[in-house]
Amino acid sequence: MVKKILKIEQLKTYFYTWAGIVKAVDGVSFEVNEGETLGIVGESGSGKSVTALSIIRIVPSPGKIVEGKIIYKGENLVEKKEKDLQDIRGKEIAYIFQDPATSLNPVFTIANQLVEVILRHQKISKKEALEKAIELFRLVEIPDPEIKIWNYPHQLSGGMKQRMAIARALASQPNLLLADEPTTNLDVTIQAQILKLMKNLKKKLGMSMIFITHDMGVVADIADRITVLYAGRVCETADTKTIFYNPKHPYTQALLTAVPSLILKTEKLAVIPGSIPNLIKPPTGCRFHPRCEYAQKYCAEKIPDLIEIEPGHKVACLRATELNLKSPLGGIKNK
Amino acid sequence: MSRYIIRRLLYLIPLFLGILIIVFVATRISGDPVRLMTGLNPHITEEAKNNLIRYYGLDQPLYAQFFIYLSQLFQGNLGNSYVIRGGLEVTTLIGDYIGPTILLQASSMLFALIIAIPVGIISAKKRYSKLDVTVTTTSLLGTCIPVFYMGIIAILIFGYFLGWFPAGGLITQISETRGYFLGNQTMDILWHMTIPTAVLTFAILAPIVLLIRSSMLEVLKQDYILAARASGLSERVVIYKHALRNALIPVVTWVGIYFGGMLAGAPITETVFNWPGVGRLFVQATNRLDFPVIMGITVIITIMTLFFNLITDLTYGYIDPRISVE
Repeated sequence: MVKKILKIEQLKTYFYTWAGIVKAVDGVSFEVNEGETLGIVGESGSGKSVTALSIIRIVPSPGKIVEGKIIYKGENLVEKKEKDLQDIRGKEIAYIFQDPATSLNPVFTIANQLVEVILRHQKISKKEALEKAIELFRLVEIPDPEIKIWNYPHQLSGGMKQRMAIARALASQPNLLLADEPTTNLDVTIQAQILKLMKNLKKKLGMSMIFITHDMGVVADIADRITVLYAGRVCETADTKTIFYNPKHPYTQALLTAVPSLILKTEKLAVIPGSIPNLIKPPTGCRFHPRCEYAQKYCAEKIPDLIEIEPGHKVACLRATELNLKSPLGGIKNK
Repeated sequence: MSRYIIRRLLYLIPLFLGILIIVFVATRISGDPVRLMTGLNPHITEEAKNNLIRYYGLDQPLYAQFFIYLSQLFQGNLGNSYVIRGGLEVTTLIGDYIGPTILLQASSMLFALIIAIPVGIISAKKRYSKLDVTVTTTSLLGTCIPVFYMGIIAILIFGYFLGWFPAGGLITQISETRGYFLGNQTMDILWHMTIPTAVLTFAILAPIVLLIRSSMLEVLKQDYILAARASGLSERVVIYKHALRNALIPVVTWVGIYFGGMLAGAPITETVFNWPGVGRLFVQATNRLDFPVIMGITVIITIMTLFFNLITDLTYGYIDPRISVE
């Protein structure tokens, strides 16, 4: 039996805005096994980032966790005090943000920001911390670390900035890394470099990782298992191969169809009709039913539970077993 | 850096000359100081008047007057007052009066910053709370009510009705029946300073609170604040190190503008509080058409404004490295 490092149960994070209550995350459950990479996939606004921010309890106001459990190493983080959470953040669970251009403070040198984080969790001298920071820079493969460390963020390129952000996240050797679309704002070539780096680092440091993305290509490359989110709820969870070759949720299938592929040689890029629903007044029943081509009348009435249809494969669709969906990648042998 | 400063200083020369010309012409066409001086004297002869005009150099054409003034200015000579103490040197005069002005303005600015920065931050952190609404409403009032009105009300309440503080002035004029407050000169000045400093502090503080609050709200939304929290940094470090430094730029601008215009804004404040500073001197000089004093204070105001603008620009580069002074 694999050990679970993180277990999320029925997490609900709502935003209390003037316009109404935005149910950004509305009953999300998933687990992360020790040493694995869990990919979280979904469109913009599906609640991926809010889920990740909820895990370390830094959801910006007016957002609030209203319900659910976040069990990290047997302790429920939802019940922890702010002071104890500060000891967990950065040390046990680290976070990498989407846009390196905005996630580094523009007015402090990189040395300043790195040393600060190192000293926060480790009892060492300033000089040792600086040496450690340079060491971290070598780890994330930044050339000339002794010089680069005295730069301000705006003096580095996008890829370098993201390496620096990764270095900051790794400063205290976290056990769990939350990577929130860390490659989305980078050039494709840089994207590949950063992905490779993250894979290597994960192996080297023996971390677990949650990798959030909307890019099916990226998640196929990096994740061991995948959780698909839609409108604040989990649609499907399975290992990567199953998600790609044997999806059981119509939304997962639609996502796969929308991936541009050289193998499928489609003329036109497929799209999922409609857009992600308003989360102040989400659709009744299954939230995907207004856009689902297999939707029945009862799909609008009954909320589907997340059911394990085969070991390790959970689906939230009322018609999961009867539909017999085919993956658009169906006949292709896996590489 | 030093090249930048030199270049900036060179740019100031035409600006400075332009300001001098405008004020010089404006004062000379605003009235006849000799008529004003002699108006109450029915026995004055035309000849005596003409002597006075010649004595002050007012018989020369305007451009000649200006060049004489300019050549004197380059020698550090701001001329002599027409009326004060038999033609006192303007430099001496300003030297005597600038102390109280700086005392009042600098202490008010200091208090304002000490109070406004934390208040603005707390207000931003507790946005829309009762505290925040109280703070913003009070600050808006402080921004809207002119200093002279606030000053008069404060003098009326605390100086007149309650009698806790003197109604004006810098220091008690000691006589046989009246001594210093608590028998000590420093205490006496502090006692006199209380109402003006409190009113001015409030007037300066109000817009700074609003500035800090709004720029804090903007900064707190940024990813790097979230990232700082995600690194486990304490709320105090996140707010006072990471957020405040970024939120300070508009405040620096405001403080720079305020200090630059400190003397220009002083006339009203100092008149209300009967404060013996440069501002009140300026008002008196204007009323008497005392040209050299008006020009002298203008020169000082201009230099201060330009100087503080330069300081402000240099401070930007220090606070935010992305703003390069080059």
